[in-house]
Amino acid sequence: MEITIRIRRQAESGSPDYKSYALDVDPGTTVLDALMRIKGEIDGTLAFRKNCRNAICGSCAMRINGRSALACASRIRDVADARGEILIQPMGNMPVIKDLVVDMTSFWKHLDQVDPYVSTAARRTPEKEFLQTPEQRAAVEQAGNCILCGACYSECNSREVNPNFVGPHALAKAQRVMADNRDDQTAQRHALYNQPEFAWGCTRCFYCNEVCPMGVQPLDQIQKIRHELLTDKATEPNTAMRHRRVMVRQIKESGWLDEARFALQVVGRDFKGLWSLVPLGVRMAAKGKMPLRHRPIENCAQVRDLVEAIQKEDTKS
Amino acid sequence: MIAPPLKYAYYPGCVARGACRELYTSTALITAALGIELVELKSASCCGAGTLKEDSQRLQDAVNARNIALAEEQGLTMLTQCSTCQGVLGAVNDKLRAERGSAYRDEINALLARGGHHYDGSVDVRHLLWILLADVGLDNLRARVRRPLTGLRCGSFYGCYLLRAQAHRRVDDAFNPQSLEKLFEALGATPVYFEGRTKCCGFPLSSYDAPTSFSMAAVRLQDAIDCGADCLVTPCPLCHLNLDARQPEVERQVGRKLGLPVLHLSQLVGLALGLSPEQLGLGRHIVSTRPVLERLGL
Repeated sequence: MEITIRIRRQAESGSPDYKSYALDVDPGTTVLDALMRIKGEIDGTLAFRKNCRNAICGSCAMRINGRSALACASRIRDVADARGEILIQPMGNMPVIKDLVVDMTSFWKHLDQVDPYVSTAARRTPEKEFLQTPEQRAAVEQAGNCILCGACYSECNSREVNPNFVGPHALAKAQRVMADNRDDQTAQRHALYNQPEFAWGCTRCFYCNEVCPMGVQPLDQIQKIRHELLTDKATEPNTAMRHRRVMVRQIKESGWLDEARFALQVVGRDFKGLWSLVPLGVRMAAKGKMPLRHRPIENCAQVRDLVEAIQKEDTKS
Repeated sequence: MIAPPLKYAYYPGCVARGACRELYTSTALITAALGIELVELKSASCCGAGTLKEDSQRLQDAVNARNIALAEEQGLTMLTQCSTCQGVLGAVNDKLRAERGSAYRDEINALLARGGHHYDGSVDVRHLLWILLADVGLDNLRARVRRPLTGLRCGSFYGCYLLRAQAHRRVDDAFNPQSLEKLFEALGATPVYFEGRTKCCGFPLSSYDAPTSFSMAAVRLQDAIDCGADCLVTPCPLCHLNLDARQPEVERQVGRKLGLPVLHLSQLVGLALGLSPEQLGLGRHIVSTRPVLERLGL
């Protein structure tokens, strides 16, 4: 089939430009093979990363029609539009070195910040290797499938505005080591991950889950870390945790959220927090948006009983 | 064209009964005008906005299975009007339907039995936006427009949970949705495409990391303004809270006057159906909706 690949080109310090390349390819060709043909047959100056061509190494992540994906795992017939056009751009949230090659320094630095290794002390193996049961191995299976391609980091909405947020790849790895029965650093990890730049920095935009080519589903892993933090009595409480606890408490009390009281109980606990709410409160009250009358839902006792029954079972398990 | 009788189990959500009452009122008005009957689920609880599972997965599943069971008892499709409620309830429904016959679903039902409910996965959970497009139909809507929104340039703001929380049974492409844009055109308005329309508004961070939350809202609002939008239109009241109610703080943080009105989906439909701005609560917004009304000659 006749296709046109439109590629965002950029020299090291220059401004970006788009260049189109026409090719005749088999519809089953991968985007990576098409890029290699462009480089080999049309324009040798085109820069992109590649290695295994098999969705194992994670080198060839790029934006294909605005969505981060592995070029080697994307077939032309699936990504070309009705006119046979495909748009190729470098990944986001990282500066461009040249064309489709981005500087992944912050990506690796952030990964390192979660201490992404099964603890050294636990790895002292005097006589033989550690054995894991199939169940113990299964606990690390999903997050362990990450190939560090950068697709999730490229689309992460929190990372877009907060350069200190470690990102979905790092937190998926954090969950993987936390869930590993050989790791003995649980308390230290809980303290480290219980920070706004770590587990609580995610805004739950779902982009990481959407683009992950390996089914790691980083958001799901982040929410597992949060679960661990919330259920560990030793975790230092913070506003993000209070947000979750007040929500459950209010659902028990009246079935639904009493927004004004929610804000006071979560944010307005100290003078600074309370002060930060004053302008919002005044503004909402002036427009008649301050929710003052809060009545429980019908059959509220039923919801309370349900939540309490689950809490009792969860405590037992 | 006359629509067949449409009747739904209505899940209004917390925000529409709290800080955004104008959404509750507007939805009541437009559904009445379109001949849609709503049976409000008055004993439905908060869906947890996606954070209950961080406390306990079983808690999120059971509380929402109960909410869906209430719609099943009415024998009606559940209608939501919040992207987050839709994503949470829809995902729980998808999950428990796939768990048919499993021990886990039995366990959830044993919990619901305490209150005399049973979840059996017999109804769909659908957002008002999808119902307007598929059940009411764009042709039908177009025929009922009394005040075409000609000249009004609308930027869509979908909400993450509407586009991506449900892995299955999706209506829109997560990266290039068209539902709102099709609706704008049917009402006579002009869609404005900007990069942030599918992204996060920052609301989930607002209670504990306000600077990051406001930075996110700022990028979206500035992006929409720079692409020429007169207003944003959202099917998510949580996005509305961060983009409208917090806009003064966002302006202060970026040092730029924004003044971009943010309308609820139901308000935009209501304007096109000929309802008055007062009826639709357009005076209750933090950011003045005056520019929208002026554009429409009101």
